[in-house]
Amino acid sequence: METIAVYWEQPIKTYGFQKVTDLVLIEFSYPLKEIISLGRTLSRDALQMVKAEFIIAQEFGEMISVTLCLSEKEYGDFWVSLAQAPGSTPCEYTYPVGIIYFHGPHFGDRYGIAEASFSALSQADIEIVASGCSASSVFVVLAQDDIARAENVLSHTFEVAK
Amino acid sequence: MWPLSLYGTDTMEKLKVGGLRQSLELCKFDLRGPESSDGILANVSRILASQKSNIAFLTYKGNKDKCCQLSFCLNQDLFPRASKILNKGLRLPTVWEIESREHVGMITVFPRHSAIIILGVVMASWGAESIPIYGIATSLSAVSFITDYRIMDKAVEVVQDSLQLPRNRAPIKPELQYYQSEVIKRNKR
Repeated sequence: METIAVYWEQPIKTYGFQKVTDLVLIEFSYPLKEIISLGRTLSRDALQMVKAEFIIAQEFGEMISVTLCLSEKEYGDFWVSLAQAPGSTPCEYTYPVGIIYFHGPHFGDRYGIAEASFSALSQADIEIVASGCSASSVFVVLAQDDIARAENVLSHTFEVAK
Repeated sequence: MWPLSLYGTDTMEKLKVGGLRQSLELCKFDLRGPESSDGILANVSRILASQKSNIAFLTYKGNKDKCCQLSFCLNQDLFPRASKILNKGLRLPTVWEIESREHVGMITVFPRHSAIIILGVVMASWGAESIPIYGIATSLSAVSFITDYRIMDKAVEVVQDSLQLPRNRAPIKPELQYYQSEVIKRNKR
């Protein structure tokens, strides 16, 4: 049995844009063969209260690169913990950055959502520092000065459901 | 010191989470270059959208002066077509590399409170069982991990042993694959 459900909207609807600013973007790499020790470091109770607004990790070769955004205050706690992990490359950080994120109906099941987001930002010459899309969410990390402009651009690209 | 809580001894509790979700079979592409290529995100997403290819998972890290990487996952059945398009239709600078991996799957842990701890527990427990991690991303309410599709059940079991899930709640497994069609059915009168 085949069931066809049609869901099409123009413009694409979203439930609204959320922003978080004054964040530190942290990036470090770690050998994949040592991932157990990185896992042990990150699962320490000391980090239980550290709230990461954004995390992505990418494999490349024998390494895994981790990128996350923390508040300026929590960055210190995280750095101290990470410094105890053997094998980690030095942390690189960028400050200040902001995140704009949004989600919408069946975003994870539909094509064209990423294209609408990234094309709009590219056409506005807004440089994307990092991004993560999974489930029904789109997260975009930008230089803090670009956040307001990005919200304006995305607001004209998507329709906020009322 | 290895935190006891990871092994769920009597003395410490495991981290409580709400549930797990497994994806259908996916494939993964990694595009990597020495510096940001203008509009790579827009270009790749435009090409995929033109082929009606849904991106199930995407991570991007750009850097003006250093390496830049775009990784994304599509349904496994799109692998041949996407490979062809990305290798021939995408005009990347010659120094950029494209790597691909078939038969991957995504395991999502929700909600994502204590995301760093969840990350650490999964890294440590999967690492101990030689279960690979190919990518990670947080979303609004969850943390998603990309691993080998052929050992997804084992990966789920390890997560279930390492985190505390609600009793009698099995991981959500998808039974339907969604395709967005351009077919529009209008009401007949």
